[in-house]
Amino acid sequence: MPDRDPSVSLAALFRLFLKIGLSFGAGTGMSAVLQEELVHKRQAMPRREFVALFGLARLVPSGSMTALAVGIGYRYQRWLGTVAALTAMILPGFVLTVLLTVVYTLLANSTALRVINLTLMPAALAIVVVSAFNLGREFFTPSLELGLVIAGGVSVLLFGLNPSLVLLAGGAIGAIALGNRDDTRQASR
Amino acid sequence: MLVQLFVANLLTFGNGTVMAAILQQSFVQQAQVLSNDQLLYAFALARVTPGQANLYVASIAYMMFGLPGSVLSILVIALPSYLMIPLLHSYEFFRGNRLVLNMARGLAATAVGLLLATTWNLARDSMTAPVTWIVLALGLALLVFTRLPTVVSLLAATGAGMILVLATGLVTP
Repeated sequence: MPDRDPSVSLAALFRLFLKIGLSFGAGTGMSAVLQEELVHKRQAMPRREFVALFGLARLVPSGSMTALAVGIGYRYQRWLGTVAALTAMILPGFVLTVLLTVVYTLLANSTALRVINLTLMPAALAIVVVSAFNLGREFFTPSLELGLVIAGGVSVLLFGLNPSLVLLAGGAIGAIALGNRDDTRQASR
Repeated sequence: MLVQLFVANLLTFGNGTVMAAILQQSFVQQAQVLSNDQLLYAFALARVTPGQANLYVASIAYMMFGLPGSVLSILVIALPSYLMIPLLHSYEFFRGNRLVLNMARGLAATAVGLLLATTWNLARDSMTAPVTWIVLALGLALLVFTRLPTVVSLLAATGAGMILVLATGLVTP
């Protein structure tokens, strides 16, 4: 890992990640803006290093954007940098989310909430359905992975097993049984 | 709740949608401290607000424990990100390690199964009137057949549903 590079100050880091936190499109949109700002506009990091950091962030068991914020914050301003980057990135979405949740709780038992339940909920469900099929597309061919998909669904739907334990078991089975395959790719998020 | 959230975040690598599957099973199906409608509302928020897709946990936590809960929930999902620092020193090992990659693939496949089960549970509770099926179909069509951003598809399907609800007088004050 490169030594600390103070070329991006703590305040600049905070401003940069505040801008990232205001970006739409979740991880994909945010990482695109971050790359544009850091690599192209500020020229504070070579593209190759950014891609390497992004790849590493995808291996961290948390959201890849929060891991990337920690990695970049640490690169420029060590521990304080990680706090500044994370805080700035999370703040805008967090404040809006909480405010809109307050609105939701204030609307409890109202006509507006009944309308929301009949309209926003099925639209949100459509996103879940599409996400499920997009995430699972690569597993929907006869394979051990398809077996894990079916076992995962059945174990919670029919047997009510603890979902965290089911996931853990799936990961362990994958590690042991998937073997040394050339086409093994990193799991999609 | 925080422990459940921490584990769910770790096991799903912070994927907002897959994490929703675990939270639905844990909080709605098993503990029954949250309704499907609340979960779906929180999930929808993540699509109409900026930032990461997993920030909706703040909404769920707010519904259960108020502001302190939502702040703690964010700390819990952000904390594992600090694994990035030791990983920076062992990047090459983890990047090419077959065991790690296979485990991630096994986790992902199992997570898809959980997600499909959750979809079934959510649909069973939320699809209560003909208009909900129309909104779902419209949402699916927009997401699958157009290149519109997710937030636009969500708002368009919701808007069309609201017009239908108001025009048919399905909901009265």
